[in-house]
Amino acid sequence: MKRNVLNSPYQFTIMNQSAKILGFDEQVQNVQKAIADFESGKKQNIAIIAEPFAGKTSILDIIEKENSHLISRVPVSSIINNKGKLTIASLNKIVMIDNCHFLYLRKIGGFGVLEAFLNTISASYDHLFITAWNLFSWNYLESAVNIGKYIPSRINLPKLNDNEIKECILSAYEPGEITFVNDADVNKEKIIHVVRHPVVIKPLHKTFNMVFIRIDFAILKTKFHKTEDEIATEDLIFKKINRISNGNPGIAKAIWEKNLAYPTVKLSQFEHFSYTIDLDYHESFIMSIILAMRMVTKESLSNMGDDSHIDVILFRLFEQGLIGIDNGTCSIKPEAMRNSVELLHKLRLVW
Amino acid sequence: MAANSVMTSFIGIDIIFSAIIILIVAYILIRILTLLLQRFSERVLQYRIHVKMLIPLLKFSIYGISFYIIFASVLRLSSEQLIIFGGLFGAAIGFGIKDLFAGVIGGIVIMLVKPYQMGDKIRVGEQYGEVSDIGLISTKIVTPDDNLVSIPNYLVFTQTVASANAGHREMMVVIDLFVDNGSDMVLASRILKEAVITSKYVFISDKLPVSVLVKEYPYYLRIRAKAYVNDLRYEFEFESDVTRRTLAEFAKNGITAPEMKIIGN
Repeated sequence: MKRNVLNSPYQFTIMNQSAKILGFDEQVQNVQKAIADFESGKKQNIAIIAEPFAGKTSILDIIEKENSHLISRVPVSSIINNKGKLTIASLNKIVMIDNCHFLYLRKIGGFGVLEAFLNTISASYDHLFITAWNLFSWNYLESAVNIGKYIPSRINLPKLNDNEIKECILSAYEPGEITFVNDADVNKEKIIHVVRHPVVIKPLHKTFNMVFIRIDFAILKTKFHKTEDEIATEDLIFKKINRISNGNPGIAKAIWEKNLAYPTVKLSQFEHFSYTIDLDYHESFIMSIILAMRMVTKESLSNMGDDSHIDVILFRLFEQGLIGIDNGTCSIKPEAMRNSVELLHKLRLVW
Repeated sequence: MAANSVMTSFIGIDIIFSAIIILIVAYILIRILTLLLQRFSERVLQYRIHVKMLIPLLKFSIYGISFYIIFASVLRLSSEQLIIFGGLFGAAIGFGIKDLFAGVIGGIVIMLVKPYQMGDKIRVGEQYGEVSDIGLISTKIVTPDDNLVSIPNYLVFTQTVASANAGHREMMVVIDLFVDNGSDMVLASRILKEAVITSKYVFISDKLPVSVLVKEYPYYLRIRAKAYVNDLRYEFEFESDVTRRTLAEFAKNGITAPEMKIIGN
């Protein structure tokens, strides 16, 4: 079966041609050190691991730019087409491969390409491999096939803080270009919410609404740290964006773009930004595969999910705003990712 | 005669009424708390079993406090009355409610020693199922056929009790498949392993690995997978998912089931 390797429709240019603005300077330094060690005879293949949209490609771009004479960047599609084999003789001593999570499929017989690739990089003593992996795929492969023994040096991209997210997003604009509007009375944000849930009394065959109290710990934390009056509207907006994106720059940028009415952005648009997800176990499993691949064709999903109801499942995911579908390709929606991951963690479908 | 007069002198209709009210309040309180905790446990899936474990603890505490209030405050027994009551209670245990009392003691032992917990999959005697309730007198389990079976708590003293998951959400499942002994056992093992690690129900970690073992018998090979299901509620779905996909892949690769062989003349 021919495998499709996909390019993301979200090409987040989240860097400002420097590692520092991304908040990844330490990770770039670690890779540079590994390259220096390799040149002095010590080789350790590197895996750069992060959630989707967290900036793996950007960090590879930075490293490639700084070491362009040393590095050959190989598209993962060529490795898949060669069934996991690499013609390394024609390549520079340092080989860089992005999107390595496309090297396997979660199905019986779906690990052949990955195994061949891992054997190739293990047998190549005079090349250093810098690879980038989706965090959820890596965690799965680490448990299932012990991938860490082939690629011992792991670099996890950290979550960005409020200021880094702000710098990352505003780097695309001139100072003062964007107007920040505080149209929400932040003091009215409730810490305690009263929610009603239907409760069924089986013996009586009756349902009544029981009152529950929900505490918003995020707002409570904000109140303890600093009163919101003291924070500038601009900072408040980026604080909220960062809370929603969980420090993921790609997600932050997607949320920003979705709510920007150029040149104005309003605080009220970032209030209560969450998704209500109602998925059964099979739907959640398909969602976990899309999350681990970030983008995947319907055909591959059908093979991996082993499910004849794939169209119905994808419709349910699409309807709830969790994925986008374009020409038979399913991709995770960045703004819905955090809620999806929470659910999948609870179900133990991602580790 | 004297004992009779002493008993009737302190058990009036108002005392009986108060005791009944206390027990009804305790019962309603337990039902509400149980309902709330069960709903909450399903919302926090990763802590489901831990939350559910609070239910029997609450039951025993509330009933214990209720009986204490009845005896200490409502009945206000003198030492003489206490001795008489103790005698009557002892006689009642001897004559009829021995098993009932043993059940309560068994329940307390289950609380303290924890041979199993709410939500565990247990085997007691011939019964196997998920513990849905640990009551004052008996434990209720739901069998794979969806039957609700009540097991007296005192059986923990006399029967072997096996808990498949011991308070954890994950549980080991053993899947056996049998193939003809002329089959490619390396390929068969690989297919079974990949079926397990790609299952939607599997849970794998460093401490909970997947293992595949082959054993040769005179007329067939047994290929056994040992792996953990991510939630014990999916035990049978996991087994079925792995078996179904493995057999389909065996068929594609010419790995066949053992042939029936006729021995003798």
